[in-house]
Amino acid sequence: MSSLTARVIKLSVLRALALYTALIAMAWCALFPILWALSGSLKNQAEITEPVLIPPHPQWANYAEVFQLMPFWRMFLNTVLYAGCVTAGQVFFCSLAGYAFARLRFRGRDVLFLAYLATLMVPLTVTVIPQFILMRTFGWTDTPWSMIVPGLFGSAFGTYLMRQFFRTLPKELEEAAILDGCSPWQVYWRVLLPHTRPAVMVLAVLTWMTVWNDFLWPLLMIQRNSISPLTLGLVHLQGQYASKWPVLMAASMLILLPLVIIYAVAQRAFIRGIALSGFGGR
Amino acid sequence: MATVGFEQASRRYHGADRPALDRLDLTIGDGEFLVLVGPSGCGKSTSLRMLAGLETVDDGVIRIGARDVTGADPKDRDVAMVFQNFALYPHMTVAQNMGFALKVARVRKADIRDRVLDAARLLHLEACLDRRPKDLSGGERQRVAMGRAIVRRPQVFLMDEPLSNLDAKLRVQTRTQIASLQRQLGTTTVYVTHDQVEAMTMGDRVAVLRDGVLQQCAAPRELYRDPINVFVAGFMGSPAMNLFTLPILNQSVSLGDWMIPIPREIADTAPDVVVGIRPEHLEVDGLGAEIEVEVVEDLGSDAFIYGRLVAGAANTTTADKPIVARVDWRSAPNRGTRVHLRPSPGHIYFFANHPTGIRLR
Amino acid sequence: MTVTERAPAPTSDRSVLARRQAAAGRTFVAPNLFAVAVFMVFPLGFSLYMAFQKWDLFTPAKFVGWANFHQLLTGDPLFAIALRNTVVLTVGTTVPTVVISLIVAAVLNRKLKGIGVFRTILFLPLAVSSVVMAMVWRFVFDTSNGLFNIMLGWIGIGPVPWLVDPKWAMFSVCLVSIWKSVPFATAILLAAMQGIPDDLYEAAKMDGAGEVRRFFAITVPLIRSALSFVVVISIINSFQAFDQVYVLTGAHGGPATSTYVFGIMLIQNAFDFTDIGYASALAWVMFAILLVITFLQLRFSRRNSLEQ
Repeated sequence: MSSLTARVIKLSVLRALALYTALIAMAWCALFPILWALSGSLKNQAEITEPVLIPPHPQWANYAEVFQLMPFWRMFLNTVLYAGCVTAGQVFFCSLAGYAFARLRFRGRDVLFLAYLATLMVPLTVTVIPQFILMRTFGWTDTPWSMIVPGLFGSAFGTYLMRQFFRTLPKELEEAAILDGCSPWQVYWRVLLPHTRPAVMVLAVLTWMTVWNDFLWPLLMIQRNSISPLTLGLVHLQGQYASKWPVLMAASMLILLPLVIIYAVAQRAFIRGIALSGFGGR
Repeated sequence: MATVGFEQASRRYHGADRPALDRLDLTIGDGEFLVLVGPSGCGKSTSLRMLAGLETVDDGVIRIGARDVTGADPKDRDVAMVFQNFALYPHMTVAQNMGFALKVARVRKADIRDRVLDAARLLHLEACLDRRPKDLSGGERQRVAMGRAIVRRPQVFLMDEPLSNLDAKLRVQTRTQIASLQRQLGTTTVYVTHDQVEAMTMGDRVAVLRDGVLQQCAAPRELYRDPINVFVAGFMGSPAMNLFTLPILNQSVSLGDWMIPIPREIADTAPDVVVGIRPEHLEVDGLGAEIEVEVVEDLGSDAFIYGRLVAGAANTTTADKPIVARVDWRSAPNRGTRVHLRPSPGHIYFFANHPTGIRLR
Repeated sequence: MTVTERAPAPTSDRSVLARRQAAAGRTFVAPNLFAVAVFMVFPLGFSLYMAFQKWDLFTPAKFVGWANFHQLLTGDPLFAIALRNTVVLTVGTTVPTVVISLIVAAVLNRKLKGIGVFRTILFLPLAVSSVVMAMVWRFVFDTSNGLFNIMLGWIGIGPVPWLVDPKWAMFSVCLVSIWKSVPFATAILLAAMQGIPDDLYEAAKMDGAGEVRRFFAITVPLIRSALSFVVVISIINSFQAFDQVYVLTGAHGGPATSTYVFGIMLIQNAFDFTDIGYASALAWVMFAILLVITFLQLRFSRRNSLEQ
């Protein structure tokens, strides 16, 4: 090999090195707050100020203390309940409506869909107050209903997602089913739904994350600890024990953990969802 | 304008069991139009890309002119490439597409404009200069891709299957345009295609590749008449040469019940042999191997008949493949009839029945 | 997106099949439509209606015409403060986000070994809720215990009152917002970059363009629409920021109103002062500003990119 080639190889090694350095630096920026919080959660009060990443004597007791200072399991179950109900409802009703918009002809369908799209543009701040008043009128303030019902029947965004997806499925699938005598419901339930897994996954993951991380709405609606979701619990904890950093960090880690697991498992669906939507976490 | 040389050039992909390109030795003369041809996976595109600098060279040397460019960046090689999918910049106009390389090289604006106009005139693109690729037809896009290469006045043109995305009629038209353009400009050109008709009609010389190995590099005529092995013989020419693997008995082989004598040097060396006869060298005659005509292809100016041997001697391995013969369209036999095909003496090729398939003389 | 579409089966509108499908269509859409109508459309109209009333949730509402808007735009010094802070937050988040995410996406858009691991790590903040994130950053920013001040202490710089000093508080909030929005923007830009065919880059290489040149001449122009999407979304989100501001600097807009943004002002007026009408008017003013910005942005980007 000529010296020219040798020089080229050296350059490409340098390039690779520079790229990896950049990547590591970026990864550090993305991770350090979380890592720092993790390490803080394992220190005791005095060690907090020490800039060691791995504490010498991990204080797992901090995590135990979280459960003493706040009704963690209760709140965890609450959050799971809210997220689960809304996700299930979203997936079902949005896919149903998405199918209808994509494949069933009825009068006013397209105008209606345009109206749906228009609502996507409305910012949260405009609707949050009237939604609050609605909940109050129904008598649902400080009840689980306020957390479940508004999202239960789906949303414009979810329907948009599902409709776009249904349009990509081949028409032959349902034409064959219709010829076999299936009713529209059967076509939807038996024939098409099994093929919508990717879109459903995306919608489910996005919805779950959104509900799990929701803060403003629970803040407005819920007073009692017994039905609070985790986000609310964390902020209340901070309000009461503002200086107990180790415990606060431990609580943060505990809330973070389920989502990180879901993220690790469903990462591809999640990223695809982000790329498809405009509605990733705020 | 320069010569191009591949010296033992090799490329191996990670995890592949054989090299994509295995020790290619090839010299291309100044101003020559060389075609690299072969089936997919044969290494022709790889060689082109190695020449362009888009693919690393694992072993061997690549020269342009006398310069060793093996490790050099594409921009230091003074070569221009026409891509299969044209690779036109969608957000730039035709003029900007063609002038991009010159802009990068900091050529004066006035000079860029002149050179772009010259190339546009050469390719009849003057009307398209302000349009964007999405507004052009396939043929126009292809010409823009060529214009982009021409404007740079490089030492070598590289073309990677530039006609494969055009429809059949356009392909024939453009083929002649490219060939005459190259003659006009006199630039050394390396042209990759999988279509042996393009190879035959366009190249000064044609290099046939298979599985990363160069089979034969010669003028089209020589490749056709004097193939070096059974692969080249079967690859060049359409319809393909008839090939029969036949056992040798008494210094001859039997095609059906027609005997073909084998030269002694060949008969002494092996128990069987591959016999090759081109369709145009089979005459419909009273004597010869008898076939039953299954398909007649009447192409207007020519006709081909496909049939199978009637006298199915159990030791021929041709029972599954039909025999092709060219006939005069005026006297083409009908389907179902039986005719005798007589091979023209002196136009029978013999190849070893061996993986190399080398031609036996 | 086509607005009209052939139904899967032929036949005239009167046929049994078509009628059955239409009926099913209406039934399937109904629950979803109900939710959208009740929780989206109705609130939209209702909040507009409320903007012209004076209401404190307990006594009956009183119609006051444009008084809320008038007070908001001319008589309320807090509005000007909130407007300024929100603009600062929006610009201070959007611009760095776009620049940083362009770079990150460009680095991630390669076939390096192990790039998948880096992508996973870099997109991790997307899974973190604003609340948790803000809590964690609060810890980092803490004046006495926070990581930043500890590290500054090493190089001899005194502790910076990140969240306590009015001059620093907004900066800190911006930092956290950027940290949160970069992964999202990167995901979008990366997806767009991956849609650019490889041979365009090869052609550019042949044309003599170096890495940086290729990035600005090919990559950036071809992801124009994704870029403008990212800008619009970032603006909309920053404009309505609430969660991280609340957790980082409290419900009243931080040290001496330095982080008093529209989101905080809205919630404060609606639920602390229970001045529903005023808050609704504010919401609609925000909506109007957002619409204008979005419209301008789309116009600007359409004029610049004739080809996509």
